[in-house]
Amino acid sequence: MLSLFHYLSRLTFQSKINLGLALIIVCFGLLLGAINYAVSSRAVLREALLRGEVLSVNLSARSTESILSMNFLRLTNLVTEMVDRDEQKDLVYAFIVDRHGQVMAHTFRDGFPVALLQVNQVEDHQPFGMRFLDTGRERLYDFAAPVMVGTTRLGTVRIALSHTSIKAAIDRLMWINLAATAGATLLALIGGSFFARTVTRRINALRHSAEQVVTGNLNVQISPAPSRNCWEIMNCTEQRCPAHEDRLRRCWYLAGTFCPDCSAGSFPEKLDDCRNCPVYRRNAGDEIQSLAESFDFMALTLKNHIEELRRSERNLARQKQLLNTILDVTPDMVTLQDEELTYLAVNKAFCRHVGREESEIIGSTDFDIFSDEQADRNFHEDMQILLTSHPLSKEIMTRGGKGKKWHHVVKVPVVENGKIIGLLTTARDITVVKQYQEKLIHSQKMEDLGRLAGGVAHEINTPLGIILGYSQLLLKDFPADDPVAQDIGIIEKQAQVCRKIVADLLSFSRTTEQAALPMDINASLREVADLVEHIFRQNRIVINLHLDDRIPPISGDKERLKQVWINLFNNAADAIGMDGCISVTSKLCAHRRRLVVAVADTGSGVAEDDLDKIFEPFFTTKPVDKGTGLGLSVTFGILKDHGGRISAISPVPSEYVDVSPACSDDAGPGTVFFVELPLEGNELPPDECIEIPKKEA
Amino acid sequence: MPRHQLMIPFALLCLFFLAACGDQPEPVRIDLTLREEQASGERQPVITYAYLPQFSHTVSFERHHRLVQYLSETTGLNIQQIFPETFHEHMLMVAQGKIDISYANPFVYALTAEHSGAKVFAKIVEPSGEAAFGGLIIARVDNPDIRSLQDCRGKRWIAVDQFSAGGYLFGLGHFMDNGIRPEDFAEIVFAPGPGGKQESVILGIYAGRYDVGTVREGALELLKDKIDLDQITILARTPRYPGWSFAARAGLADEVVRDIKKAMFALDIADPEHHLILESAAMRGILPAAPEDFDAVRELVRRAGLE
Repeated sequence: MLSLFHYLSRLTFQSKINLGLALIIVCFGLLLGAINYAVSSRAVLREALLRGEVLSVNLSARSTESILSMNFLRLTNLVTEMVDRDEQKDLVYAFIVDRHGQVMAHTFRDGFPVALLQVNQVEDHQPFGMRFLDTGRERLYDFAAPVMVGTTRLGTVRIALSHTSIKAAIDRLMWINLAATAGATLLALIGGSFFARTVTRRINALRHSAEQVVTGNLNVQISPAPSRNCWEIMNCTEQRCPAHEDRLRRCWYLAGTFCPDCSAGSFPEKLDDCRNCPVYRRNAGDEIQSLAESFDFMALTLKNHIEELRRSERNLARQKQLLNTILDVTPDMVTLQDEELTYLAVNKAFCRHVGREESEIIGSTDFDIFSDEQADRNFHEDMQILLTSHPLSKEIMTRGGKGKKWHHVVKVPVVENGKIIGLLTTARDITVVKQYQEKLIHSQKMEDLGRLAGGVAHEINTPLGIILGYSQLLLKDFPADDPVAQDIGIIEKQAQVCRKIVADLLSFSRTTEQAALPMDINASLREVADLVEHIFRQNRIVINLHLDDRIPPISGDKERLKQVWINLFNNAADAIGMDGCISVTSKLCAHRRRLVVAVADTGSGVAEDDLDKIFEPFFTTKPVDKGTGLGLSVTFGILKDHGGRISAISPVPSEYVDVSPACSDDAGPGTVFFVELPLEGNELPPDECIEIPKKEA
Repeated sequence: MPRHQLMIPFALLCLFFLAACGDQPEPVRIDLTLREEQASGERQPVITYAYLPQFSHTVSFERHHRLVQYLSETTGLNIQQIFPETFHEHMLMVAQGKIDISYANPFVYALTAEHSGAKVFAKIVEPSGEAAFGGLIIARVDNPDIRSLQDCRGKRWIAVDQFSAGGYLFGLGHFMDNGIRPEDFAEIVFAPGPGGKQESVILGIYAGRYDVGTVREGALELLKDKIDLDQITILARTPRYPGWSFAARAGLADEVVRDIKKAMFALDIADPEHHLILESAAMRGILPAAPEDFDAVRELVRRAGLE
């Protein structure tokens, strides 16, 4: 039963209508047919019985005379003729008995069945009597009519009609009835199916359109186009009317139509005014058409809305893309957290900084990203901002695998409708700025140092000259082997050392004049290299020159620059000690406004912390009795006088590592010194030289 | 579903079942295989009584069955009324002894007495109170050719029967008395039988098929409810002769005749029971009669040459 309901509910609408219609028609057909059959079969039976009655009464009347006259021939003729001439062929027998029960005439050919005399007794006062008999072979309606003269009974006539013949007539009637019912049912089914089709066809169209809408195709048109459009019916030439030339929609769905009878409202409200409009009366259809029109209107409206939405979406997406691009491209880290400090949005710089994917960060908190200590610190700081609404701006320094880093962090509470809904944090990498700042401070310090040293040296230089002059004078007063002369000799020697120190200090503090003449840097480098090569070879130190011949002559003090090279070479040789290479490279910067000389060694290198201090006077990593710590300071001062600059990187970047076979062995981290000199003028151009690698941050 | 909507299919269902059930009665089982030829019934000795079939058998039966029943009951004899088809058959049966008591008109009596020796023993009193009756000669009142008896020459004559007294013999005698012989008629036709012949004559005239007809007295009254008697005119009345009589066949036991005569003569019109018997038999009473009472009729028969 349940499966039958399930099966029925899955049938198509047309099948359901047809099935229901067929069921109703067949039921009514059967019912009416049955009633009709019952009524008409009764009528047929009644007619047959009436005929039997008439026949029996008639025979009774016709046989009176013959009974009286005992005319057996006439009586026999009467009954046999009646049976033989029976056109309906349903008379089975007829016989006549006298008042004593003696059979006077009968139609049985082989003897009279005496049992018949015992049934269907009829009284004198009855016009006739009828009994339904079953002989075993067939069923009969037996009629008995008394033969009366006045009140005297002369006898009885009996006739019988075959039930089979009557039943055949009734059955014939039934078949006619059945055929008529079947024909009417068929006709009604065809007609019903036709009407059902007109409904289901349109419903199917609606369903198909709904499916199209579901799949996203909103270009549906179910309702048929009207034969005459509203502007044709109304003879309207108003081009501005929204309904004009709109063949897809009926005018009553459109707001703001120009017809004088149209109200100003939109679809459901204005329809009341349309009831009497000739356009509405002509083009409005039945409920299904109204549904189809509404559906079309809905699809069209939906389509417009969706297109508008898509436009807005595209617009939004583009703006979001732009914003994302801006945020992602900017090197600053930008994050947005909600009031629970959960990350809502982060940019690529932040992702790179914490080394996680954006999707991992969104929805998590600092505790998921940073160390507990850091996260806890951040949490308290952030909560304070959220509570106090005071923005925070600070610089923080972090130490990581890539060294020291500085960030300028700004945290701003996000306020919407007077309520804090989140926290916007930006962090800018200011390491470079910090480095410049440190360099500035350093060079300021160097300058101050130079001025101090120069002043001191100048003041010391005069008394030292007097000490030296007098010690030399005294030395002449004593013979060479005199112990006094030896002591004075020691004084003179130490005064010479002091004089050297003073000269270096003066050189560092530019107190000496310099000759600015055109000179060849490469020639100067070769000269110095030739000079020290012999000495360095004793310690198996090789100098490799990679000089760029395109370097034009520059203006400079040749002797003092030689001093620079000597200092750098010695420094390199000291760092190497035994067995190493010194690689000297000269090249032009890409923009050809400065030259770079790089001196790289394979020595022990410089600790990162010391790199900033190596140009300070008296800074040395060498043992106490070796070097004064003024070599690089003097070099710094000479180059500064030339408008140049010196910097150092340790260990040596890959592109400055000497790859010659003699140097590739026992290579230490090494140090490379970069000397930059302007090609023209006394100042370095503002742009950086890409030939010099940055210190790895 | 609301209740009234449920009622519709329910009512239809009731109608359906109502239509389906028939009113056929249960048949009575009967065995038709037991056959037998009709054996002639046991015949008791009976006295047969016949009424000359001047009317249909039914009328004859209705008129005389009470009298027959009365006679049976009174005499203790088994008297049965039988119905000969024609006058001739009646006379033949009297002659053959098949009719014991014959109630016939004087003409037939005269013939039977002549041919088979039947003997009259009673005569009736007509409803008019007379023991005699005559015939009527009738024609259509609007027949322009027949105004008098003499106009009947050359016309078509319909008579009741060749053995009818009032319907033929008396009329023939009257015509002959007026000089009109049977051969003077265009044709002489007797009404078709059996039975109902008096009525047939009147109806034949009434329909205009025949010009002149002869019936016994009182016959016209039989049809007063069926036709307009004003259309019929009586041309002449015949002389009166002795009326209908009862005759016993030759050889019938005297005691039987005696018992019957006694019972007949005992009938009294004043007695309500007897009144019904006599009235239905169209008589007022029954009187003794002797053969010589009918000499006038015998004479007429001889005269007409009908013996």
